[in-house]
Amino acid sequence: MIKKSIQKVYLALIFILLYAPIVTLMVLSFNESRTRAKWGGFTLKWYQELFKNEQIMSAFYTTLVIAFLAAAAATVIGTAASIAIQGMKQRWRTMYMGLTNIPMMNAEIVMGVSLMLLFIALRMTLGFGTILIAHITFNIPYVILSVSPKLRQTSRHTYEAALDLGASPLKAFFKVVFPDIVPGVLSGFMLAFTMSLDDFVITHFTKGPGIDTLSTKIYTEVRKGIKPEIYALSTILFVSVLVLLILVNYSPDGKEEEGAKKKVRKPSRAKVIFLRRIVPAAICILFVFGGIYYAGENQMMNSEKVVVYNWGEYIDPEVLTMFEEETGIDVVYEEFETNEILYPKISSGAIAYDAVCPSDYMIQRMMENDLLAEIDFDNIPNIKYIGSQYMEQSRQFDPENKYSVPYCWGTVGILYNKTMVDEPVDSWGILWDEKYRDNILMQDSVRDAFGVALRYLGYSLNSTDLDELTEARDLLIEQKPLVQAYVIDQVRDKMIGNEAAIGVIYSGEAIYTQKENPDLEYVVPKEGSNIWIDSWVIPKNAENKENAEKFINFLCRPDIALMNFEYITYSTPNTEAREMIEDEAIRNSTIAFPDLEELPELETFQYLGQKADETYGELWNQVKSS
Amino acid sequence: MSSKLIDFVHVSKAYRMQTVLDDLNLYIRENEFLTLLGPSGCGKTTTLRILGGFETPDTGKVIFDGKDITNLPPNKRQLNTVFQKYALFTHMTIAENIAFGLKIKNKSRQYIHDKIKYALKLVNLDGYENRMPDSLSGGQQQRIAIARAIVNEPKVLLLDEPLGALDLKLRQDMQYELIRLKNELGITFIYVTHDQEEALTMSDTIVVMNQGYIQQIGTPEKIYNEPENAFVADFIGESNIISATMVKDRLVKILGVPFPCVDEGFGQNTPVDVVIRPEDIDLLKPGEGSIDGVVTHLIFKGVHYEMEVMANNYEWLVHSTDMFPVGTEVSIHVDPYDIQIMKKPESEDEEAVNIEE
Amino acid sequence: MKSKRLLAGPYLFWSVSFVVIPLLVIVYYAFTNDEGGFTFSNLAQITTAENLKALGLSILLSLVSTVVCLLLAYPLAMILSQNNVSQTSFIVLIFILPMWMNFLLRTMAWQTLLEKNGVINSILEFLHLPALEIINTPAAIILGMVYNFLPFMVLPIYNVLVKIDPNVLNAARDLGANSVQTFLKVTLPLSIPGVISGITMVFVPALTTFVISDLLGGGKILLIGNVIEQSFKQNSNWHVGSGLSLVLMVFIIASMAMVAKYDKEDGGAAF
Repeated sequence: MIKKSIQKVYLALIFILLYAPIVTLMVLSFNESRTRAKWGGFTLKWYQELFKNEQIMSAFYTTLVIAFLAAAAATVIGTAASIAIQGMKQRWRTMYMGLTNIPMMNAEIVMGVSLMLLFIALRMTLGFGTILIAHITFNIPYVILSVSPKLRQTSRHTYEAALDLGASPLKAFFKVVFPDIVPGVLSGFMLAFTMSLDDFVITHFTKGPGIDTLSTKIYTEVRKGIKPEIYALSTILFVSVLVLLILVNYSPDGKEEEGAKKKVRKPSRAKVIFLRRIVPAAICILFVFGGIYYAGENQMMNSEKVVVYNWGEYIDPEVLTMFEEETGIDVVYEEFETNEILYPKISSGAIAYDAVCPSDYMIQRMMENDLLAEIDFDNIPNIKYIGSQYMEQSRQFDPENKYSVPYCWGTVGILYNKTMVDEPVDSWGILWDEKYRDNILMQDSVRDAFGVALRYLGYSLNSTDLDELTEARDLLIEQKPLVQAYVIDQVRDKMIGNEAAIGVIYSGEAIYTQKENPDLEYVVPKEGSNIWIDSWVIPKNAENKENAEKFINFLCRPDIALMNFEYITYSTPNTEAREMIEDEAIRNSTIAFPDLEELPELETFQYLGQKADETYGELWNQVKSS
Repeated sequence: MSSKLIDFVHVSKAYRMQTVLDDLNLYIRENEFLTLLGPSGCGKTTTLRILGGFETPDTGKVIFDGKDITNLPPNKRQLNTVFQKYALFTHMTIAENIAFGLKIKNKSRQYIHDKIKYALKLVNLDGYENRMPDSLSGGQQQRIAIARAIVNEPKVLLLDEPLGALDLKLRQDMQYELIRLKNELGITFIYVTHDQEEALTMSDTIVVMNQGYIQQIGTPEKIYNEPENAFVADFIGESNIISATMVKDRLVKILGVPFPCVDEGFGQNTPVDVVIRPEDIDLLKPGEGSIDGVVTHLIFKGVHYEMEVMANNYEWLVHSTDMFPVGTEVSIHVDPYDIQIMKKPESEDEEAVNIEE
Repeated sequence: MKSKRLLAGPYLFWSVSFVVIPLLVIVYYAFTNDEGGFTFSNLAQITTAENLKALGLSILLSLVSTVVCLLLAYPLAMILSQNNVSQTSFIVLIFILPMWMNFLLRTMAWQTLLEKNGVINSILEFLHLPALEIINTPAAIILGMVYNFLPFMVLPIYNVLVKIDPNVLNAARDLGANSVQTFLKVTLPLSIPGVISGITMVFVPALTTFVISDLLGGGKILLIGNVIEQSFKQNSNWHVGSGLSLVLMVFIIASMAMVAKYDKEDGGAAF
């Protein structure tokens, strides 16, 4: 009895371990507040928002369609292969099983990378097709490993008996062998489907523009904080699978007890088949065809399109819908996480983007490598709403203002919590203060982190001097024990949740965090800092340049710029839009719209060349692995 | 034979509300070859498992050599089991399998070595020490399972349908092998089977079980010739079981025809069942026997002919060395001492009633 | 029977096209530089202090998580297999079910749970217990790995254990072994194929992950997966990335070959 209860406790603990995060996510889906760091009260609004959010819904359906198609294809190929392998001689069988084990044993990252390299070498357009191929590839082994054991259990005599009774080999297979291995085939399919659904790494490397699965969508959103709608969607998905599971597994049990009196322990077969096969199949079909329909509806609307590549969460989705409605041009929208991810995609020419929104130094790099097309400003009359000081600032990387249209800008500074920091903050030095050990959040990107150290040392944040950089590296290594975490997006959530006292953050995020947590204060340290501008550019290989210009022009319209500002909270260079901000505190906020004259010295990042990039990367690795 | 070695006292066991053993009382003598015989689900395997220590009875107790072992774990019991489908350790060699129990008891290497040699010789598998179980045939694996059990010198060897997975010829060979082993080892064998032929061939005592009750305990001859109820008669060999009326002592009316018999004490005009073995029926010329009939089926069985004779609306099963073609008119004769009279069960349940020896 | 062999055709074609050839592409990149010349320098990258440290840390963390997974999973699999839960698929689904919630989200959720002011610490504080401070440390990464990969350890072990004939265990008891001896001498050796397949399925993904270390390590801990991911995604140096991938692959193959010596053909069947 004691043994039994220990077992029960143990099972319960494991169960808690497995399901605690899931419960957490479910709870978050009812959280009124957008940030996961704070409980803002109970709400169901995210469930309503979810169905209005086209991006999430389409990512969801893409995920389902890919999972279904990949699992189906893998099931067919894998089952056929299992049957063939079963009949082979030992030596061949070993070879095939070895082949099967490669994707199982190989690191996901290696597999994703290798497929990406192959697709690019074959000049295949990265997109739906390549994801599907990749998913089928990693799904097949799961099917083979599910089907093979079942095949081994079936006797070959039944197959021969069927042939003997006059069935054709095909018929014999489907009438006799197949029913025996159905459980294996089904579980192979389900496993493949689930794996496909849950995959991130391989999709991450093989996807193209305008297509997102839930995983990649979530990963992009990691930069700006996960949308609560995603929690809601996951909750719905999880609960429906759970209900399905309970339906399938418990109903026959009830039947069983009834039957026990007669010593017949078999539940009604019809009911089992109904619950095990038909219900799940029906739900799958519903999902998948819904998905195909939805995807079809989305794609086939207009022949005109524009392929946009933007930062994650860097536009109000409503704006995209409005643009499509007003111009009849479809927006194929894709997001990236860092400038460094964007660059090789543009330079390799694998994907023809029409409008891209990189940061200053990356624009410079792209210009230097002749990747950008000159913008025809006749098509962008709304450029007049962009403040002249920002156009001036842009000259640092685009000397003739020929290639870029400013979209957002901001500074890098320190966000601190007034309840945890007593002294006045005016210097980067506080990031090296032992008092705040484990309470400091640093930016997890090379240039931003080195920028902080270089400015603190009094050097330019565009330094290429090895001594200066080495000094900065040592400073960062010295700082590492004090740092709680190197993060990009989560500075915001963590500061709101009082997880840390001090964080390095972009000014745009500061506005939002202050709204959520009034104890937070933003400052640009006296040693000087970085000022950055994200601008729209058009790559040379754009296929829809005019549409891209229409799109950029649309974004410069003051009402649209205002919508975007309110959505992303990053400072807009659109002076007209600023005037339209209703909230006076924000309109006159020195964080959102500082007087550049009054701030300490601000530098724009510049592209320093391949060699310097590598040096930075190497030094940063040394910091990270110290 | 000598004294009681094992005693089941009022043992009952149920799984999920379903009674498997109902108040079982049974003793087993030393050096006995005792067989638990019955259809599947009759409780014979459960009885064995309770004795082996793999199950605990719900009520009652098991006495072994004068000591109550009801709650003793299997590893503390002085008996060993040969399992259905052998249950060999597939990850060990034959020698390691056989040595398993001895190593646990920390026997010396030399002792273990000798024992393995001895045991393999005993089961006619010398030289198999380093083979793996998977590479052996079913019969060989079975013998290894026996060797593995007997090296521990148990007082009792439990065998759970050990020949079930073997083919007919091998099964017959193994039966003789088991008898030889038993005689050489001089220990008690408790054997579980659903095969009546195995039971009749090997046993000193047969315990016929059905639905958790003991139906009859006795020597093979007694069980075969004098079944105590219709179940035993039906289960052991082929027989004609017919409803009849005991008119008075030594006279029974079968299918309306009076037959002299040797049984007494059933009272007058009592309904009874009679058992008549097919080989005890003599076929005579029409009019010469008790009932006349017609041969309806004829099959040659090697040792004898098997025939069915339709007489008085009953199909009599008859074994005879004489052949009567289908359609032949014959007359049935049964000697009085070949008619076995059994009390009729008063209800369905009583069919399975526990009959004390 | 010839026609039956043709059924393997599509699979062979697929595997060669999308498994074997891509690996050759990696090999090609690993041995060439930007100009297409032959070089060993990409492979040599692994010997730099940072990369070696990242590899060492990866090996250490993945070994620890594998061991923790094994220690947690084995008793679990035993309990599940002993309890005669007739619905095998149900057990499988209990462990597969969490996968229907995205893996990134689940891992992110651990952040919410483990943070300084997170759910767990709030509970501990309420109970007046000392706070759990493992977020952004290797411990958190190990937790993340164990959490994500535990099912891959439980399922193969469970599958092997349920297949053991209970009579084999009874036989061991019958021959005098107590429950500990029975476990050590019979159950454990018989379950080795499942254990090995579990170890493979935990160790490899744990060794190569970059997402878990990203999300739970606070960016302070660099694993070999992170280094490879960075060389592709941030430094866009595909040659170095391929070189490191190749080294990693060879390392995995070597270590798996070492364990797989004991593996039976069907031991790899996890589900």
